[in-house]
Amino acid sequence: MNIQEFLTIFISAVFIYNVILSRFLGLCSFIAISKETKPALAMSSAVMFVIVASSAITWFVYRFLLMPFNLAYLRTISFILVIATFVQLVEMVIRKISPQLYRAFGIYLPLITVNCAVLGVAVLNIDMFFVNGKAVAGSFYYSVFQGACVGLGYTLAMLLMSGIRERLELCNVPKALKDFPLAFIIAAILSLSFMGFNGFKF
Amino acid sequence: MKNLIKEFTKGIIKENPTFVLILGLCPTLAVSVSVANGIGMGIAATFVLLGSSLIVSLVRDFIPDKIRIPCYIVIIATFVTIAEFCMKAYSPVLDRALGIYVPLIVVNCIVLGRAEAFACKNNFSRSFFDGLGMGVGFTLALILISAIREFLGSGQILGHTLIKGFEPVFVFGMPSGALLVIGLLLGFFNILKNRKS
Amino acid sequence: MKDNLIVSGSPHIHKKGSISNIMWAVVISVIPAGIAGVIIFGLDALWVTIAAVIAAVLTELVLEAWAGKKITVFDGSAVITGILLAFNLPPNVPLWLPVIGAVFSIAIGKQVFGGIGQNIFNPALVGRVFLMASWPKYMTIFVKPFDALTGATPLAALKEGKILEHISYLDLFLGKRGGCIGEVCILALLIGAAFLLIRGHLSWHIPASYIFTTAVFTYIFGAAQLFHGDWLFHILSGGLILGALFMATDYVATPLTAKGQLIFGVGCGLLTAVIRIWGGYPEGVSYAILMMNGATPFIDRYTRIRIYGTK
Repeated sequence: MNIQEFLTIFISAVFIYNVILSRFLGLCSFIAISKETKPALAMSSAVMFVIVASSAITWFVYRFLLMPFNLAYLRTISFILVIATFVQLVEMVIRKISPQLYRAFGIYLPLITVNCAVLGVAVLNIDMFFVNGKAVAGSFYYSVFQGACVGLGYTLAMLLMSGIRERLELCNVPKALKDFPLAFIIAAILSLSFMGFNGFKF
Repeated sequence: MKNLIKEFTKGIIKENPTFVLILGLCPTLAVSVSVANGIGMGIAATFVLLGSSLIVSLVRDFIPDKIRIPCYIVIIATFVTIAEFCMKAYSPVLDRALGIYVPLIVVNCIVLGRAEAFACKNNFSRSFFDGLGMGVGFTLALILISAIREFLGSGQILGHTLIKGFEPVFVFGMPSGALLVIGLLLGFFNILKNRKS
Repeated sequence: MKDNLIVSGSPHIHKKGSISNIMWAVVISVIPAGIAGVIIFGLDALWVTIAAVIAAVLTELVLEAWAGKKITVFDGSAVITGILLAFNLPPNVPLWLPVIGAVFSIAIGKQVFGGIGQNIFNPALVGRVFLMASWPKYMTIFVKPFDALTGATPLAALKEGKILEHISYLDLFLGKRGGCIGEVCILALLIGAAFLLIRGHLSWHIPASYIFTTAVFTYIFGAAQLFHGDWLFHILSGGLILGALFMATDYVATPLTAKGQLIFGVGCGLLTAVIRIWGGYPEGVSYAILMMNGATPFIDRYTRIRIYGTK
């Protein structure tokens, strides 16, 4: 566990393997909600929170439930259940405690259950930080940190995209390309420019 | 019978999950590097769709409305796990190529979308054909995208070189190429649609 | 005198400028760098440039005719895109490469967004990164000046840890090094930029902040020891000067206000230095500018000038 390791995770999760632009996780929500900056930001913060929390929870589930009882084959089912339950719980808690916060990003929470980014990161953490059925040293910290970085990458792509699309509202874009097709083409160009970070080494 | 055929064919063109409903894009873009991967992903997703549509339509009367989504997810996840392990056993190469995108079929919006929008309201045989049609439509879209990407990105289709001396455009094997292809394809279909109407 | 007495709505004072005036001025300003490139690398450089320009203009013509829009090929913007794309290519690429690059630049970088004045990214750079990702083997082979031997660019040599032999700052300044067609001769680029500056078509904010940031950052982190980096080398080599003066100053894809432009320049400088020092590519100018192009709408949003009388 050293600082280089964390920096590498940061750069690769935010830029090189950006969840949206390179791994295509959470693409549906990205295309659907990036039309304006405000909802985009709300969605991003909700995703960020859920990813970080679920990274931690699924790590515990895997390490202390699935591994000792030899149930690794239940990974997919248990993870999606845990995530769905957690999201539901958060939604209820927020609704009770802070109606304001609920209005800001609560409506996006149910959507997040089926956001591939959340389950994707959980599975990825297990694939990366459990070698031969054993947790590598510091794997919990790596998992949570990777969750946070993936959330940051999601936020970054979301913010750039929503800014660009807001501006495109004022342009007379070819009719056939309006909305979705153009959003994909912009994402392609962003993805090309993020390639500048390929082969990053400290 | 005619009705059933209609349920089947609508998923292929009129309500194609990829190009018309724009659902389930994560696996579409991620695994479409080669036609072989595309077909593998298509078959796995079709299997899950069929299985979950069937079971959901069978048990739809017993599931309380409030917790239907978690129930659907568990049913879907079961089939995904079956698909995952079959793939691991029979085609480890494909399993490695598809990577985390196999377990991610769970959150593929097409599958949950069909369970929620169709299978929970229709009987067993109609749901079966609906699932089959959607699965075939998804697979065909995957094959189309992956054929374009494999040909441009490596000059080959299923490992066969088509044109000698063609300089592969590497970018189409990369994520940005996938985004570009789907963007241009959607635009192209829009042009076709506008022309028709 | 008579004309001045006509009663009309504002604005009353007109500047005799138009899109095509400015664009052709930019074309004139890059000619010295083009001539330098041809002198240094031979006629190949000229053919590449001509191919890119012709392809860019034809693509614009065809797409605008197809979409039934006003034909704007004579305003010089497609010409400048073609030239800038060619300037970012090695001189000895096969001629189909600049052609495809120019088609991609105009089609995906510009017309997709609705044509001139609406592009989010610099079209020439979109074409360049596309070519870079697609055919890296053609994009990374450079000839040495004045002979046909291939050799690494100074930045690539630095990245591979080779010792830089026989390259003085003066050589770098005059362009006696391997590199892309338009980026090598700093002197010619400065002449062109001076012309634009005098005509008032170029503001100093982006180039100055861009170059300064790169220099500071490479000085601090550019060597194994902190504060020992060769900042002058980093300024003079690669495409920094070309990028800062002519690519990062695209009118459409950059922020509107001076404050926004300074932020844009600093961002470009930081990203360029980071990619050069730690990235996998020896050069980061195109990627840095494209990323900041993407961030421009966002920067604009937060640097909007306060409307007089509002909070």
